Amino acid sequence: MENGTYRHTARKLYDFIQSNLYFNRPDLQVGGEQFNSTLLFSLLTALLGGKALIIGEPGLGKTTAAEYVGSLLYQLPAGTVWASEVSGHPEQTEEKIIGRPDLGKLNTGQEEVVWSHFVQLPVKIVDEINRLPETKQSMILDGVDRGNWEYLNEMILNDEYCLFATANYQDQGTNTIIAPLLDRFDVMVESRYPGPSYAFLISQRQEKEELLRHPDLERELQEVLKEKLPPEEKKSRLGAISESFGTYLQESLQLSTLDSASREKVRQHISAVGLDQDANAYARMLLAELSFCERHGQKRSSEVCEEGCHYTGYLCHRLRNCASNRLPVSLANYAKALAWFTDAGEVGIEEIRAVGPYCLAHRAQWTDTHLSLLQKDRRDDPLQIHLARQAISEVYQRYSEQAERVKAALANAYRIFQGEVLEPLAGDHPIYAEIRKDLNLEE
Amino acid sequence: MFNPFEDFKDFLSKAKNLPLDRLAAAHDQIMGDLAAGYGKLVEQELKSLVWFVEHNRVIEAYKTATEVIKEVSYDAHSIEDFCYVLDSGTDIPYLISGPAGIYIAALCNNADEDAIVLRLGEMKRTLHFLGYRLPYGKSLRVEGDAGNFTGSALQGGEVTVTGSTGDWAGAGMTEGKISIHKHCGRNTGEWMQGGEIWVGSRIRGLGRVASGQIYQAGEPVGPA
Repeated sequence: MENGTYRHTARKLYDFIQSNLYFNRPDLQVGGEQFNSTLLFSLLTALLGGKALIIGEPGLGKTTAAEYVGSLLYQLPAGTVWASEVSGHPEQTEEKIIGRPDLGKLNTGQEEVVWSHFVQLPVKIVDEINRLPETKQSMILDGVDRGNWEYLNEMILNDEYCLFATANYQDQGTNTIIAPLLDRFDVMVESRYPGPSYAFLISQRQEKEELLRHPDLERELQEVLKEKLPPEEKKSRLGAISESFGTYLQESLQLSTLDSASREKVRQHISAVGLDQDANAYARMLLAELSFCERHGQKRSSEVCEEGCHYTGYLCHRLRNCASNRLPVSLANYAKALAWFTDAGEVGIEEIRAVGPYCLAHRAQWTDTHLSLLQKDRRDDPLQIHLARQAISEVYQRYSEQAERVKAALANAYRIFQGEVLEPLAGDHPIYAEIRKDLNLEE
Repeated sequence: MFNPFEDFKDFLSKAKNLPLDRLAAAHDQIMGDLAAGYGKLVEQELKSLVWFVEHNRVIEAYKTATEVIKEVSYDAHSIEDFCYVLDSGTDIPYLISGPAGIYIAALCNNADEDAIVLRLGEMKRTLHFLGYRLPYGKSLRVEGDAGNFTGSALQGGEVTVTGSTGDWAGAGMTEGKISIHKHCGRNTGEWMQGGEIWVGSRIRGLGRVASGQIYQAGEPVGPA
């Protein structure tokens, strides 16, 4: 299959979900097209094998969005996706999330692990993750990060997986999601109230979930998941059943889906999408503002940004923490995926600006002063996404004012790094100071 | 070691070429050319140390001016700007009102545009000979005051002055129309051969008008 055919299939899946399963308003414009951010980022997450945190009020489609996307993108019947979900609650245990000892074998003195469906299937949904106590959130850190699940002395490694976690807004039963876990999510989106018209439409289409059900195949999958088979054989058998579900979708809904090999091809195509120099320089400028501290060398959540610093006008002054290395990875991956999905050719500033707020929102820890200044802003987004969107726009404005100089500074730095005797370009932005540091030059 | 700036290896810095920069450069070039032309005219006229308004001198100066501007590319806006360059006295070392006005008149008469507006209200000095020999089909509107010999030897064009003019307005004009919204000086219409002069307010004195009409506040006042 050609790249364009994969894209066409992915677009058709988006359209199908939007028209038949997940009804919501468009709230994001990219390349002149309107998208719903929850659906778009869920779909890109599934395509990329990423991790998305979907927040929102109870009952506004957080989990169902993830279920529809996971089911269609990974050719899994809805019943199987539901059965593999982990729900967050205080009594949740490692045995229910990851795996448990095979009690029969244990009685005979043998240690064997019965892995959970959650661990074995490529679509992982953690419902209400913030109802997991903070101590139990740590249990899924490694698995979330690397697809690496351990129990007793056994390990299971997911070659291909995507993770969706949903979180309600803070109430009495919720906990804070620990920062290391939050940082592992590539994007955070809000599943918003769809408006009265779409909400009413939802009430008229209650049978829609049946579209993705297939009880026979669900039973078959269940049987294979329970069996103790060598990983390759299990993978092959699960793949075969998934493809049968894909055939069923093609026949019943005239909907093409992507099998495992196709998804891998899609990932290769996405990975091959390049960044233009503006997107590259703009992303560096953004990262510089999110990590820079003139006084202390870098941002540290344990250190306070002093007043009177020359750089008080930049984002670094309003942040408490430092951008992690996962941020640029998420930014690049999702911008590439978006450029691929919209057939943009390469990643430009538009794609970075479109995905930026969703990659940054859950990772940025703003100062109380900044929060108090902006929390009463008129906005459509939840506060965290609003603040991130503001930050991304602000840096874009600064980049627009000095784009040529920033690129010239980076090009100049390339030549200095290669050994040419040149003076680094100076300017009023943390990026210039960071370039000097990269070149190991004293201020 | 991997160069972290590799992506910018091929970046070619393109200095931002703002339209304003281009326009300013082009404008400076035109002003330079016009000043050089004026310099040649003045050089010619200064041979006699003192410049007198004599019929032959005026004709000769106009001929020289027409010659020197042939190689200059300019438009109506440039003429207005050049008037202020002349007035500023910083770029042009010697403003001589007569030759300067004749030079401006030559520029107007040879401009590509048929309708020329000179907004000279901010000028400290007034220029003589504005509208000199303005041919048929052309119009010149001076917003502000004009000096002596405004519209002299007019050849069918239309000259409008929104302020006042000095003496000898329309002297020797053969056809065309001069409208002066406020006052004008002495010898208005001297040796006028045809055409019309309309003055909105006071006329300090009429010249010897051979033919044509002079009106003051809408009423004919000459020839006597």
